[in-house]
Amino acid sequence: MEKKKLRSKKGAERATRILIYAVLIVISIIWLIPFLLLIIQSFNGNAGGGYGNSIFPEVWTFDNYVKLFTETDFPKWYGNTLLVSVVVTVFQTAIVLVTSYALSRLRFKMRKPLMNLMLILGMFPGFLSMTAVYFVLKEIHLTANPLGLILVYSASSAMQYYICKGFFDTIPKSLDEAARIDGASRQQILWKVILPLAKPIIIYTVLTAFIAPWGEYMFASLIMRGDTSMYTVAAGMKEIFLSQGNEYKYFTVFCAAAVVVSIPITVLFIWLQRYYVEGITGGSVKG
Amino acid sequence: MAEVSLKHIYKVYPNGTKAVNDFNMEIKDKEFIVFVGPSGCGKSTTLRMIAGLEDISAGELKIGDLIVNDVEPKDRDIAMVFQNYALYPHMTVYENIAFGLRLRKLPKDEIHKRVTEAAEILGITEYLGKKPKEMSGGQRQRVALGRAIVREPKVMLLDEPLSNLDAKLRTQMRAEISKLHSKLQTTFVYVTHDQVEAMTMGTRIVVMKNGFVQQIDTPKNLYNYPENKFVAGFIGTPQMNFFEGTLLKSGENVVINFDNSEAEITVPYSMLYKTKPSYLDGKTKVYIGLRPEDISLASDDVKNGKAVIKVSVSHKEELGSETLIYGDINLNGDGYVESSTRIIIKDNCEREINAGDLIDVALNLDKVHIFDAETEASVLPRIPEYNYLDCEVKGGKLGFLGTELVLPEAVKCADLKGELLIPTDAITFDGNIKAEVAACENINGVNLLALMLGGKRLYAVAPSLIGDKTVNIGVDLKKITIISNGENVVSPMPEINRFDCTFEKRKTVEKVEANGKVKNKKTAIFGFNVAGAFFKSSDDASQKIFAALGIKKAFSAPLKLECGVCDLHFTDSGIAAVAEETLDYGKEKFLKCKVGENTVYVKTETEYNGNVYLLPDFEKIGVVETEREIKII
Repeated sequence: MEKKKLRSKKGAERATRILIYAVLIVISIIWLIPFLLLIIQSFNGNAGGGYGNSIFPEVWTFDNYVKLFTETDFPKWYGNTLLVSVVVTVFQTAIVLVTSYALSRLRFKMRKPLMNLMLILGMFPGFLSMTAVYFVLKEIHLTANPLGLILVYSASSAMQYYICKGFFDTIPKSLDEAARIDGASRQQILWKVILPLAKPIIIYTVLTAFIAPWGEYMFASLIMRGDTSMYTVAAGMKEIFLSQGNEYKYFTVFCAAAVVVSIPITVLFIWLQRYYVEGITGGSVKG
Repeated sequence: MAEVSLKHIYKVYPNGTKAVNDFNMEIKDKEFIVFVGPSGCGKSTTLRMIAGLEDISAGELKIGDLIVNDVEPKDRDIAMVFQNYALYPHMTVYENIAFGLRLRKLPKDEIHKRVTEAAEILGITEYLGKKPKEMSGGQRQRVALGRAIVREPKVMLLDEPLSNLDAKLRTQMRAEISKLHSKLQTTFVYVTHDQVEAMTMGTRIVVMKNGFVQQIDTPKNLYNYPENKFVAGFIGTPQMNFFEGTLLKSGENVVINFDNSEAEITVPYSMLYKTKPSYLDGKTKVYIGLRPEDISLASDDVKNGKAVIKVSVSHKEELGSETLIYGDINLNGDGYVESSTRIIIKDNCEREINAGDLIDVALNLDKVHIFDAETEASVLPRIPEYNYLDCEVKGGKLGFLGTELVLPEAVKCADLKGELLIPTDAITFDGNIKAEVAACENINGVNLLALMLGGKRLYAVAPSLIGDKTVNIGVDLKKITIISNGENVVSPMPEINRFDCTFEKRKTVEKVEANGKVKNKKTAIFGFNVAGAFFKSSDDASQKIFAALGIKKAFSAPLKLECGVCDLHFTDSGIAAVAEETLDYGKEKFLKCKVGENTVYVKTETEYNGNVYLLPDFEKIGVVETEREIKII
């Protein structure tokens, strides 16, 4: 008892810190193992060899990557996905930003009910409407067409407003008012005052807007049905590489594809994360 | 360079709360106006309405010669400084100051010239390349001032600009803003809750409370002549002492009795000439106000003072140059709690005073303020509303102050003895009563004349300062009141007629010829329905009603149409009224009529009987919404 009492504050702090780091290291190892296995298997010379066998491949090879780009439709899928994701990112970011600005700054009738409605609608899983969406798209001949996918992904963008609106709410209204008196219009206020201050949230919006269509499987596989060359990576990899009978043949190729798919997201995140770190509202008003 | 005029400005929120109530003010060019009051009094709201950041519910706001109610802030030619500076954090100081000029597409060299000039005036040249977050509070507020002055606005609006600064910096910036004002020669409107800021900076101060303007005056007048207890208590630190008590007139003196205390002082009646006599009955409760600096402990003052009272000291606050002594005039009282007997004395004498001491203090009676206990209005107004006189009516003649007036038909009454109320503005200068001029002073643009008649005082509002020793006066008898045995025997004629009315939309069908075909063109017109008669309203008036009440409520809200007695005329078809009687005031005659439940008066030359038709002069009408009491026009 006495020893415990006498232990210095510093010592106690160090002990806690060691414990925290230990837990964090264990967690990160657990998280990293699947990804490491994936990378290792993508270099396995035994097609489908790693499937249940040894962890480390007997033959190391680049063949899986070569095969991926030469013998399969993967490059096409990759292009499709990139196209859809980039276009959706642009649309979604724009829509989310203007919606959030309007909901944060303008006061109009039914504003609160509208916000609640959007929040509640957003809670239902998107696939509930899948069948209906498919038939509507078929009517207007947009199935097996990237445009249809872009439409579906962008359509509900405005519902993502809440995080962005929450950020806008923290930007003091007196900045808007000062700009109004300085002679700025609403658009000018958004472009010249609010958006430069909202960089972190714009980055966040861009990242989420890009990642969602990049990895989305359900709508992609449904809407692109009928034309395998129109598949996105997620749909293609599941439908072709892992379909019955193919899983042994293509397992290592699948792993290589997974590694290639993760590259843009990793790059995007590393590039944008420096903006992500801290808000830059400091100094605008008394803080 | 502009005047700002606020006429019947209201801010009413959808739930009915009135943030600003009937704000009227003419701000002259180059004035430094300070709005001051406790939080929630509507001062910031008023400023934001001038800026255009807040909609005006009703009333008319003019900047220069332009009505700006519906003008965007950027087009009002104003600049505003915010309490939290509101600098754009992602821009440098230079860009912050230049932002407004760039939006207005000024040439680059002009922008550069103005920004460097402003920076020099404010001493921030060396910070031009820095971002706001690298600067201290005082420097940031200078940048905010710079952003406002480069625009060279007609009016500068400042919303508590110094509240976020520490005390020393605040004093310094206070002086700098005053300097800036004299340098720029623009109209400044400044909002603060700090009465010291208000007193030191303003050329005129507007004291507000709960959305109502309490008093608009110069700092000196606010301090010396507060119109009510709130203003008296708000201006000056420590605040004015208020004691409850009564006044009793005895001979040429008035005795002031303090409640819950033995204290009693006597003042000459001449000090209370302007007071309504009913306050001097020894029963009506009043507040007696005296500032801490007008109470003296000095032995000379106490020895020679006419008004000396005993105070038991409870504690004191040493401020270095002076000492605040807290005590109670109720010798058993507790000087710690604010009560109707607590007294604070500002003292700078050397005598050592300790808690528990019983001391004599001398009150400076020239500086005493007296307020009504209920309305809290000063009972010593600078311009009294009425002269309260004794009178006698005998044989159709009204006798007062040793003179007699023949009563005309309209105010004829039976013989009586009673009280006569003559408003100060009802004394005319064309009569045949000779009166001595005792004094003449100009109070905020009003010439108040003190006359001597029959050995008593009579106050009159004169059209100009009068230098003569005697004047010939008369009395406008339609404004007098005669009270006998507590009843109004003669009441004044109202100066404004009020009609119940509603706002209506009517459709008219016009025949229009177009391309050889005659077509019916339907147009909607808006107007007032007064007792069945419909008058088309001007576009301006309709707009004001829609702005104040909203489209839906405009047609359902009960309204009152106001129209001066002289602005109502007879016509052939108009508001149908029933003539009741003709009031003959000698020189003028008025017809008293009934319109529905409203009684109205019209100036007339001949006598009428039965039905008449009336037409108000629509250029001069007023419209009031009765439910929330908003003056719309």
